Amino acid sequence: MTPPDSAQFPNAVVAARALSQQVPTADGLLAILSEVELAVQAGETLAITGASGSGKSTLLGLLAGLDQPSAGEIMLLGQRLGNLDEDARARLRAGRIGFVFQSFQLLPALTALENILLPLELAGRADARERATHWLDRVGLSARAGHTPRQLSGGEQQRVAIARAFATDPEIVFADEPTGNLDADTGARIIDLLFELNTSAHTTLILVTHDDALASRCQHRLHLVAGRVHETALA
Amino acid sequence: MSFARLGLWLLRRERASGEWRVLLLALIIGVGSVSTTGFLGDRIKRAMSEQGAGFLGADLLVTSPRPIDAWPIHTLKTSSALEFASMVSRGDAFQLATLRAVDAAYPLRGEVRIADRPFETGTPRPAQPPPGTVYVDQELLTLLNAEVGDAVQIGEATFRIAGVVVEEPGQLGGVFGFAPRVFLRADEIEATRVLQPGSRLTYLYQFAGEPEPLSNFSAALKPTLETTQRLIGSRDGVETLRGAFANADRYLQLTALISLLLSVAAIAIAAHRHALRHYDQAALLRCMGATTAQLRVLYAVQLLTLGLLGSLAGVAIGALMQQALAGLILPDAVTRLPSLGLAPIGVAVASGLLALAGASLPALMRLIRVPPLRVLRRDLPPLPAAAWISATVSGSALMILIAWYAGDARLVAGFVGALAALVAVLVLLARLALVAGRGVQKISYGPLRFGLAQMLRHRFDSMLQLGAFTLALFLVALLALVRSDLVDGWRQQLPENAPNYFLVNIAPHQQDAVAAYLAEHRLEASELYPMVRGRLVSKNGTPIADTLPPEARDTNTLRRELNLTWTATLPANNVLLAGTWHGERRVAEISVESGMAERLNLALGDTLGFESGDQKIAARISSIRSVKWESMQPNFFVIFAPGPLDTLPASSIASVYVPPDAAGMLPGFVKTFPGITILALDKLIANIEAVFAQIIGAIQLLLGFLLAAGMAVVVATLLASLDARQQEAVLLRTLGAQRAYLAKGLWSEFIALGVLDGLLASVCAEIAMALIAERLFELPVRLHPWLWLALPAAGALLVGMSGWLTTRHITRVPPMQSIRALG
Repeated sequence: MTPPDSAQFPNAVVAARALSQQVPTADGLLAILSEVELAVQAGETLAITGASGSGKSTLLGLLAGLDQPSAGEIMLLGQRLGNLDEDARARLRAGRIGFVFQSFQLLPALTALENILLPLELAGRADARERATHWLDRVGLSARAGHTPRQLSGGEQQRVAIARAFATDPEIVFADEPTGNLDADTGARIIDLLFELNTSAHTTLILVTHDDALASRCQHRLHLVAGRVHETALA
Repeated sequence: MSFARLGLWLLRRERASGEWRVLLLALIIGVGSVSTTGFLGDRIKRAMSEQGAGFLGADLLVTSPRPIDAWPIHTLKTSSALEFASMVSRGDAFQLATLRAVDAAYPLRGEVRIADRPFETGTPRPAQPPPGTVYVDQELLTLLNAEVGDAVQIGEATFRIAGVVVEEPGQLGGVFGFAPRVFLRADEIEATRVLQPGSRLTYLYQFAGEPEPLSNFSAALKPTLETTQRLIGSRDGVETLRGAFANADRYLQLTALISLLLSVAAIAIAAHRHALRHYDQAALLRCMGATTAQLRVLYAVQLLTLGLLGSLAGVAIGALMQQALAGLILPDAVTRLPSLGLAPIGVAVASGLLALAGASLPALMRLIRVPPLRVLRRDLPPLPAAAWISATVSGSALMILIAWYAGDARLVAGFVGALAALVAVLVLLARLALVAGRGVQKISYGPLRFGLAQMLRHRFDSMLQLGAFTLALFLVALLALVRSDLVDGWRQQLPENAPNYFLVNIAPHQQDAVAAYLAEHRLEASELYPMVRGRLVSKNGTPIADTLPPEARDTNTLRRELNLTWTATLPANNVLLAGTWHGERRVAEISVESGMAERLNLALGDTLGFESGDQKIAARISSIRSVKWESMQPNFFVIFAPGPLDTLPASSIASVYVPPDAAGMLPGFVKTFPGITILALDKLIANIEAVFAQIIGAIQLLLGFLLAAGMAVVVATLLASLDARQQEAVLLRTLGAQRAYLAKGLWSEFIALGVLDGLLASVCAEIAMALIAERLFELPVRLHPWLWLALPAAGALLVGMSGWLTTRHITRVPPMQSIRALG
C-alpha cells in the first residue's frame, strides 16, 4: 500500500483522503471515521482491522461507493466518487467490483449456479452461463449447481458467494468479515480459497476482519481504533 | 440480459413464494368478480342494441289503455294488437296468462319464432296463428300439462295449440314475466267473451316506415296523446330499457367492485411483505451495479406480468361465472344472448392493473429506494417514499376505480361514504372484540391461551382480518336474511283466513250467479265492488300535474288509470281519518286514501276531475281514510259515493277465502265462469319470491367472490406475520414445546378469530336487517338465533382452514432449519 500521498495516486485503484463519517444521534454528531487516508494499488491486498464498532465496515462501504462520506474524498477505479450520484456509483460498480459478505447474501430463490449467474447477467456477459459453471467448478461445487442456499452449508454458501464475487473478473473484491459466520476450519478453507482466487485473477482484495490470521495474509493492514487509523502496516 | 428479462427470471424463480401467490390469487378474485358482471352487462346491452327496431317490433309503438280511433294522416305500415290477462284452462288445470291478440301484420319489425315442439329453436313466422288456434309459450304447456295439438279453453271459446312461442320482440327473458304468453287472432277475441268493461287492457299500435314520414307522424301525434298513452320510438324503447338496465347493472358492478377493493387490501398487504422480504435482494442488486432506473424496470416488469397473468386468469373465471349469473338473472334468454364481447376484457384487465398498481406501488417504491449499504448493515431501512406520493398513488387509483364503476358523482360519494362508514364500524367492533378476547385470554390456559395471546399480539393484523372477513360474512348473511325474512314476513302478515283469491272481471250479469256459486260452496267472499277505470286529470280545475312540484309528478297514480269504485258502506279495514263518510247519499263526493292524499297534496273540499273513456266526472273530497293494504280485501285509492259512476261500464271484483280442502272447486268455477280471472295470492307471492330468489341469487354469486377476497386478506395478513410467528415457534420449540402444542395454539387463534368474525357479522346483520324490516318494509323486527350459530361456525371453519393452511409449516420445520432460514 502506498502511503497516502495526497498529491495524486496515479496507480491506485482505491484511495481515500481526509475521509470522515459522522452520523447524527440523540446526543449530537457521532464521528464514526475521522481523517482516514489510504491508497491501494491494483493487485494489492488490504486488511482493515479493528475492534467491533471501530468503523471497519463503514470504511469498506464508503470505499465501495455504497455510501457517501461526511467529508473527504474517495477515488475508485479512477473516478472521484464525490462527483457521482448514487446511480452513477452503481454503474461504476457494475461488473468491476465484487463483494463477499459475512452473511453470504445469496438470493434464496436462486440455485447456486444462478446466484453466480446473476452479476454476469447484470453485466451483460454473453458467456454468462459458461463462466458461472466455470466458477462454480473453481470453488468445488459443481455437484451442487442446482441446490438453493437453504440446501447448502454455511461454508458452501460462502464458496458460492466467492465464486459470485470473482465471476465477472472484477478489478476489486471487497470482503466484509468473510469468515465471521463460519467455524475455524471452514473459515480457514474459505480464506485459502479467497487468496488463491485473488492471486490467480490478479484482483485487488480489500477485506474487513478482526481475525488476525486472515489479516496477516494480506500485504497491507490498516488498523482502526475508534474511527481513526491507528496503524498502517505492511504484513 | 436486460433488467426486464432479469425481472421475469427472478419472478419465475420466486413463483412459489407465498406473497406472489396471495397477490395473484387476490387479483384473480377481484378481477373475476368485476369481469363476471362486466361480461354479462355487455352481453345484455349488445343484445338490446342488436335487436334495434326488432326490439319494439316496430319503428314506433303507441300503447294505450283504450282504443285510439283518430290518427294523424300518414302513409306508414301499421299493425295493432291488444294485450290483456285471462284464464286459460285445459281439463282441471287453469292458469292466468297474458294474451296478445294480433293482426296479420304483427310484428312489423323483428321476428316471432314459433316451434312445432317444445324446446326446439323454431322458425320465424307471423305471430298470428291460423284460425281456431293459439301459440303459447313453453311455460304454459308445462303448467297446463298440455302438448302442441291439445285444446285449451279461453273464456267461452276453445282453441287448439298450434305451436310454441320461442322468441318474440321486446323479450330478453322472463325476469318479471309473471304470466305466460299466448298469441291469438285479433278477430277471435270476440268469441271468448272475456273482455268486460273495466278490464285492464293494453292496446298496442305499431308503425313502420321511412324516417321522415315517421318523424312527421310522431310530431303530429305527440300533442294528442293523454298521460296514460305512450309513444315509444325504437331508439327510445331500447334506450329506456337500457337506462333501466344500466342502473341495475351499475349496482351489480358496484357489488362486484367491493370484492376488488377487498382484494386491493390483500394485495397491499402481500406487496408490503414482498417488499420487506426483498430489501436485501434490491440492496444486493444495487451493490452489483443496478441503478434505480434498472430496478424500476425490473420490478415494474414483475408487477406487470403478475398483473396481466392475474387479470387474464380473473377474466377467464369471470367468463365462466357470467354464464352462471346469466342463468340466474335471465334463465329463459341465456341461449339468445350474444357471445362474449372483447370490450369487458379490456375493462377488467385495466381494473386489475389499476388495483394492483394502487395497492403495491407504495411498497415497490420503497424497494427501489433501498440504500445499497444495507448489504453491510441489515438494520438499515429503505428510504421511505414520500408519504404523500404513496397516498396519492393509491388513493387516486382507488378513486378512479370507484368513479369508473359508479358513474356519477353522487353514487361515488354514496358508495365511498357507505363503505367508509361500514369499515369504521367494523374496525370499532373489531377493537371491542379484541378487548373481550383479552378477558377470555386471561382466564384460559394451555394452547388456547397461547393462541389468543398470538391474536392479541398481532393486533393490527387481527383487526384487518376481522374487518375484511366480517364484511364478507355480514353481506352474505344480510342477503340470506333479506331473502327469507321479507317473503316470510309478507306471508306471516296475512291474517288467518284472509282472502287468498281475487275474482276479477265479473260482468254485471254474472254478479248474482257468482254470489250464488260461492254461497253454494260455503265460501266467504268480500262484497263485490264495481270497478271503473279512470284517470285523475285535475284538481279544482287545474291540471293535476301543474299543482305538484316537478319531483312529485313522476308517480304511477298519474301515469296509470286508477281503479275507481263506488259503495255506500265504508269497507272493513278502512278507517276514516278526516271528513264524513258519504254513506247512501247519491252525491258527487269521493273518499281518498290518506297516502295518495299526501303524495298529491289533496285536502278535504278539493274537487278532483277524472276521465273514463270519453266521460268526464268531477267529485269533491268529502273524506280521507286509511287503508290496510295487507288485508287482502279489494282496496281502492278512490271510492265514489253511489251515483256519479252508475252509468259507466263496469265489471266487478271480489276477494274470497278458499280453504285448502276446498280448492277442488276452482276448476269448476273456471268452467262455469270462463271469462272471470282468478288471481291466486299464493302464486303471486311465489312469483315475487322467485324473482327475489333470482336477484338475490345473482348477488350471492358475487358475494362468493367477496368471501374469497376476505379469505385472501386473512391469508395475506397471516403471511405478513409469518416470520415473526416462525421466530416465536422456534423459540417455543427450543424451549421444549411440542408440535401438537403449537398446532393447537394456531388452531385456537384462527378459530377464535373466525368465531369473532361470525359474531360481529351476526351483530351487523341483525342490526341492518332490523333497520331494513322496520324502515323499508314495515315488518316486525325479529332475531335470528340460527344466525348466531351459523356465522361463527362458518367463520371458524373458513378462517381456521385458511389460517392453518397458511401457517402449518412453522410447526413442522425443525427449529435449526428455521433459525437458518431466518438468517
